[in-house]
Amino acid sequence: MSPEAAYKGRPLVPGSARGRAVVVDAISFYGDVDPETGLLRDGRSIAGRILAARRSRGSTVGSYVIMALKYNSKAPAAIIMERAEPIVVVGAYLAGVPLVDSLPRGLFESLRDGDEVVVEADGTVRILRRPGAGG
Amino acid sequence: MELTREEEEILKGRRGEAAARALEAIVKVGEALGAERLVPIRHAHVSGVSYGNIGEAGARFLEELAEQGARFAVPTTVNPLGYDPWDPGFYGATREYVEGQERIIRALTRMGALPSFTCTPYKTSLFEAEAPPPGSHVAWGESSAVVYANSFLGLRTNREGGPLALLAAIAGRTYYYGLHTPEGRIPRVEYRVEAPGPLGDAEAGVLGAIIGEAHEDPEPPALRASFEGDLALRELSAALGAAGSVGMVYVHGLTPEPLPRGWRPEERVTIEAGEVRARLEEHAPASPGEVDLYFVGCPHLDYEDLARLASYMRRYGPSRKPFIAATSNEAYIRALGDGTASTLRSLGVRIARGTCLIVSPMNLRGVTVATNSYKALFYLSRRGARVRLAGLEQLARLAAGAGET
Repeated sequence: MSPEAAYKGRPLVPGSARGRAVVVDAISFYGDVDPETGLLRDGRSIAGRILAARRSRGSTVGSYVIMALKYNSKAPAAIIMERAEPIVVVGAYLAGVPLVDSLPRGLFESLRDGDEVVVEADGTVRILRRPGAGG
Repeated sequence: MELTREEEEILKGRRGEAAARALEAIVKVGEALGAERLVPIRHAHVSGVSYGNIGEAGARFLEELAEQGARFAVPTTVNPLGYDPWDPGFYGATREYVEGQERIIRALTRMGALPSFTCTPYKTSLFEAEAPPPGSHVAWGESSAVVYANSFLGLRTNREGGPLALLAAIAGRTYYYGLHTPEGRIPRVEYRVEAPGPLGDAEAGVLGAIIGEAHEDPEPPALRASFEGDLALRELSAALGAAGSVGMVYVHGLTPEPLPRGWRPEERVTIEAGEVRARLEEHAPASPGEVDLYFVGCPHLDYEDLARLASYMRRYGPSRKPFIAATSNEAYIRALGDGTASTLRSLGVRIARGTCLIVSPMNLRGVTVATNSYKALFYLSRRGARVRLAGLEQLARLAAGAGET
């Protein structure tokens, strides 16, 4: 078990969640995520996970994809970002998915798929455990 | 957030349940982002209109609002449909899909949407009839139109998510933040393109992709480059909004609003012509034979583009492969009037009205599509198509020679 790391971000859609991380760099919810299955194009699932996306890009329809993920019970448990833009904020708000941004770039560089992440309502993000990384 | 008395009243339900719900969402999103107030808007453009894009969740969201009595408080145009309503079968729309699409159209129409069904609302008389003057605040979805509006029309809008643009249309306001504020529109980084001549449509798209991928400032990039014409500006706008999160580009000599006196970029980035060319060549069609389908009109072609395409095709000959040109119904009607539409049809071009391949249910897996649009490349490749990129004229030439090599 490695020491816990904690970061304080900006709670754009406040809420608490806990889950395993899925890490991506720039995400266009429209085009990169299948709203029916919650699968990314590379086959990883974001359903029930903590989606760590450093930044977003692409279509303004992305908000509807987040809503559709929720409707299909495939939404991430929370989304954490370095910088969120309005497209993601409104989608997360309408879908009720916790969203935290203003997190340091270093978090996204060190976070690995499968790391256990806790998101707290005040925007605190804790990384609890790094399975396979000396744990 | 500081609200006016009228806004407080709307929140209390004076304009109905739907308007209260719409404004509440805008306030919540605005507060989260740090906006201190709202701003009245003059126009809205709603993205997320294709049934394939927004699905059942989106259709129900729209129907519920319409049912609650939501009505647009400002002129509101809407994005393309999932298929050409005169030709649904060609786009692979099933009966279920058509029913879903019709529910969306009904809900939007009930709320007062203008039937534009285009990603280029700024090219329609529906928009021009009540066009907001430069400097106006608007709430637009459709990432390509957002960049075009901010950069070339002098309008002020963030890259609004589809549902937020819709809620802003109902509330008649959006949150005052980002590209709505004068300071949010001042570039910090300037990109300069070292090119011998003006950039054409495909080159402009590639440039938009290069900048969109590199630019991470919330403030818009500034750009020193020249472009062949309006089609290139639309392709630039579309690529910036697809490959990046850019909502505006300040193009020296083209963007109408002045920069502050004495403005200097904090950072300069030079993009060599060779970089644009190399990126374009990476996606160039290897031979006419490999292309299964030609697609142009992302963003929608306007009437002049259709006329230009017709003249290229008269010069090079009919297309030997399916060739789709997407446009607004309005531009199509104009092209019908002077024979451009029938010329195109006789040369093998299928004109897609009020729709676009990207938002259609057509199965493109394994299909090789040649297009002049980097945005189309970005999204169609995500749908399993192999996508090749070339300018409009080159596509016309290629299409006429298909199968010869």
